[in-house]
Amino acid sequence: MGDKTDVWQGTLALMILKTLETMGPQHGYGLARRIEQTSGDLLQLNYGTLYPALLKLEQEGYVRSEWGTSDNNRRAKFYELTKAGHKQVRKAAAEWEQATEILSRFLTPAEGA
Amino acid sequence: MNRLRANLRAIRLRLWGLLRRGDAQQDFEAELDSHIAMDTESGIKAGLDAAEARRQALLRLGGAEQTRQSHRERRVILWIDNFFQDLRYGLRTLRRTPGFTVTAVLTLGLGIGACTAIFSLVNAVLIRSLPYGDPERLVYLFTPSSRLKIPEEVICPGYADFYDIKRDTKSFADMTTYEQAMLSLASQGSVQQIGGARVDGDFFSTLQSPPELGRTINSEDNQPSHSKVAVIGHTLWISMFAGRADVLKQTIQLDGASYQIVGVMPPEFKYPFKTDLPYGDSHIQSTKIWVPLALTPKQKTDRDIANNVALARLRPGVSIPQAQAEMSSAMARFDRLYPTEYGDWGALVESFTGISIGPVRPLMELLIATVLLVLLIACGNAANLLLARATGRARELGVRAALGAGRGRMIRQLLTESLLIAFSGGAVGLILTFLFLRLLPHFDPGNIPRLNESTLDVRVLVVALTVSILTSVFSSVLPAVAVSRMHLTDFLRAHEVSGKGAGHSRIQSILIVAQTAMVVVLLAGAGLLIRSYINVVTVDTGFSQSTLSMNVSLGDRFREPQPGRAAYFKDLIGKVRTLPGVNAVGAVSNLPLSQTESLGTIWIDGFANQDYQTTETRTVTPQYFAAMNTPLIAGRDFTDDDASSAARPAIVNEKFARIYFANRNPIGGRVAGDNKHPDWHTIVGVVADIRHTSLEEDPQPQMYTPSYDFSGAFIAVRATIPPVAVVKEIRTVLRAIDPNLALTDIRTMGDLVSKASARRRFQTSLLTAFAVIALLLALVGLYGLMAFSVNRRRREVGIRMALGAERSDVLLLILRNAAALVGTGLLAGLVCTWLVTRTLKSFLFGVSEHDPLTVISVSLLLIVCGLVAAFVPARRAASIDPMQALRTE
Repeated sequence: MGDKTDVWQGTLALMILKTLETMGPQHGYGLARRIEQTSGDLLQLNYGTLYPALLKLEQEGYVRSEWGTSDNNRRAKFYELTKAGHKQVRKAAAEWEQATEILSRFLTPAEGA
Repeated sequence: MNRLRANLRAIRLRLWGLLRRGDAQQDFEAELDSHIAMDTESGIKAGLDAAEARRQALLRLGGAEQTRQSHRERRVILWIDNFFQDLRYGLRTLRRTPGFTVTAVLTLGLGIGACTAIFSLVNAVLIRSLPYGDPERLVYLFTPSSRLKIPEEVICPGYADFYDIKRDTKSFADMTTYEQAMLSLASQGSVQQIGGARVDGDFFSTLQSPPELGRTINSEDNQPSHSKVAVIGHTLWISMFAGRADVLKQTIQLDGASYQIVGVMPPEFKYPFKTDLPYGDSHIQSTKIWVPLALTPKQKTDRDIANNVALARLRPGVSIPQAQAEMSSAMARFDRLYPTEYGDWGALVESFTGISIGPVRPLMELLIATVLLVLLIACGNAANLLLARATGRARELGVRAALGAGRGRMIRQLLTESLLIAFSGGAVGLILTFLFLRLLPHFDPGNIPRLNESTLDVRVLVVALTVSILTSVFSSVLPAVAVSRMHLTDFLRAHEVSGKGAGHSRIQSILIVAQTAMVVVLLAGAGLLIRSYINVVTVDTGFSQSTLSMNVSLGDRFREPQPGRAAYFKDLIGKVRTLPGVNAVGAVSNLPLSQTESLGTIWIDGFANQDYQTTETRTVTPQYFAAMNTPLIAGRDFTDDDASSAARPAIVNEKFARIYFANRNPIGGRVAGDNKHPDWHTIVGVVADIRHTSLEEDPQPQMYTPSYDFSGAFIAVRATIPPVAVVKEIRTVLRAIDPNLALTDIRTMGDLVSKASARRRFQTSLLTAFAVIALLLALVGLYGLMAFSVNRRRREVGIRMALGAERSDVLLLILRNAAALVGTGLLAGLVCTWLVTRTLKSFLFGVSEHDPLTVISVSLLLIVCGLVAAFVPARRAASIDPMQALRTE
């Protein structure tokens, strides 16, 4: 086992949504860097996989995109959460928390056993 | 819920993505560029040189091409996108080979067009629902008598029987009786005869046909005191009242009386249409007006045969045999109660659709079978073309396979191409169908119900579409199998043409042989029909086709014999005879081929008579035979004195003389209606047989009696001046006699012959046209295959010639190959023909279904055409320059 983990199926979307919620509008490259940093460089992320995921979120109506100018004056496409996207972040985060909580009960030995 | 909406939105956008994929692709390209640029920039900032920074950026991305691909897959729905790719690729390759494409499209277009055209016809005649409630439950009631030697569907129950059946049976939900009638309609100073029906109060409710406007005729209207009301058809509403809504306030003049219009029927309602009745009034093509029958109480209890029709609707759940059984027992009861001179009346229940559509069903089936064969031949052609192309493209396909195209994907590509061809063919087919439907009215024989209502409706379009899809699948199956059987290495080696064989695969030969066989069957069928048609139109009718005929009816006033009635026709005939240019003129009660009939029983003096001998009877004026140019075989024609004499002379035809006066002289012989009260006629002459009922039935015994006393009659005129001029003169004469009289049914006897052979002409020309199309298709197929194999054998031919073969040897080599294919196909076809043509038997006239002349001409035609089709490629092979052929490899 290496010390970096591949992105789990389905979690990338939540990472993107959560990052956009925290950081506001962001372009693809920025998002990729940010996700990598947030994971403490533990995540093995091909930046390229971000784009189909973003496209999917856009098709589902959770994010919208617009061409704009980046900090260092470069044309880039910026993504931001839609109203439905904000809702979806909360919903998916709650689901995820519940899932991890359930799983952790299995993984940590029960008290008093 | 939310999730679902998001998913649906995504699918919608992905479908949308298919359409504006160019924009999206550019957009993503720009995004990718900006991503790589930013990443490279930050690499440079971290101290890397530009190339290394870019390399690492691409690495982190996971490859630009992979990213593009995964983005594209997400952007659109993949298989649809692939399909569009195939489509574009297919279009491009098809455009590159216009010769192939045009041939394939036209081939399939002809096949699909033939199918669709015939289907549009069958749809109108057999499938589209009739405008009468549920027509499957409508039945006609007949009361045949076994003693009368006439068809069973002639006599309907008389009025008394009809009402007794209605009272005593439970099988029928509704029953109606009506009479057909030609009515004189007076409008704007002129009188025209129109087809009408006198109907009882249950007529429209039995048919379940509501009016377009106003109301229909009810039982109230059938009280004799209230009966002057009329329901008119749509055409009359338009032609007389210009479709105005106030038509219900108008009256109409019928047979000199005024009728209040109470309703208008919709355009499709023309019942009874001519073909709706087995023995309807021959003058009435379709019914345009309906008036009350208004029977008197005395008529309702009349047990005699009337001129009525009885129509009923079966109660739900009751079958025709059940209704038949109930009616039979009812009729048996009535026969015991009311014996008649005709013996017992039977009972017969027949389905309306059986009577109306039954007679044309075999023709429709024949046409469908024919076009299916044509379609199969077209499919065979398309398959052969695609096969040839797949072989020709083996290298291209090989390269694609080597570059990683899946076998499935390549078969799909082939299928897409054949779909493209088939749909283009389908479009061509629809255009052909449209043209066919424009031409159809010119060929309408007039006795196929609703033929002229054939249109391109939704059902026809669906059939065209289905046929196109099936065709493309059918014609691409073989090439697809061929492709999937090839191995990658074969693909790449395929340009090395194998030296053996005829240059084409066995499957290609089998297709050509099968096509040829089918063409032989079609040609033989067409040949037999053509010979039958020639036999029919050259049959000896017994009259001259140039004789002019017309009908004069004296109308309701003179329906019954009365003093002074004979004077009308005597006056008319006498005056017409003196017109300049008129050679002979006579009148007859029932004109040949006018689909009217009059039969009588006869008793012959000095003959071993049997009960119920019948003869066709006609009342004629003197000179009728001269006017018709019917040869007088023996004795003399009638004279004016005969018409009024008490001697009761008669003329019989040859058939009559042969049967009843075998070995004795018919002249002077005596004939009576029956032996109980013999009112003897004396035979004064014998004339040639006349085909009265149809061109195809042998003439029956015929007996003529002289008279001028008609309520209506056909006038026959032989003149040396043009028909138009004669008619004009006769009209003037008629108007001078009585301005209320009209000339109708003005036709030459040739017109009647033409009309009587119209159905045959229709089926013969259709079948012949399809056979010719099939022949052309097969020849195109043969030509294509020969050209293809000549191309593949260039090298072989080059070697042969280099080794000393003459050009004529090469020519023969190719021709022999073609001849083998055509010969095998011909043999197979002749065997099939032998088996199949017996089903044609009912369509043939005066020719055996194994007619040797037809078989020989079809074989010759096919061999000659086949060799001509093969000759062009063969000559091309013979003109191959050996040096060049060997150098191309």
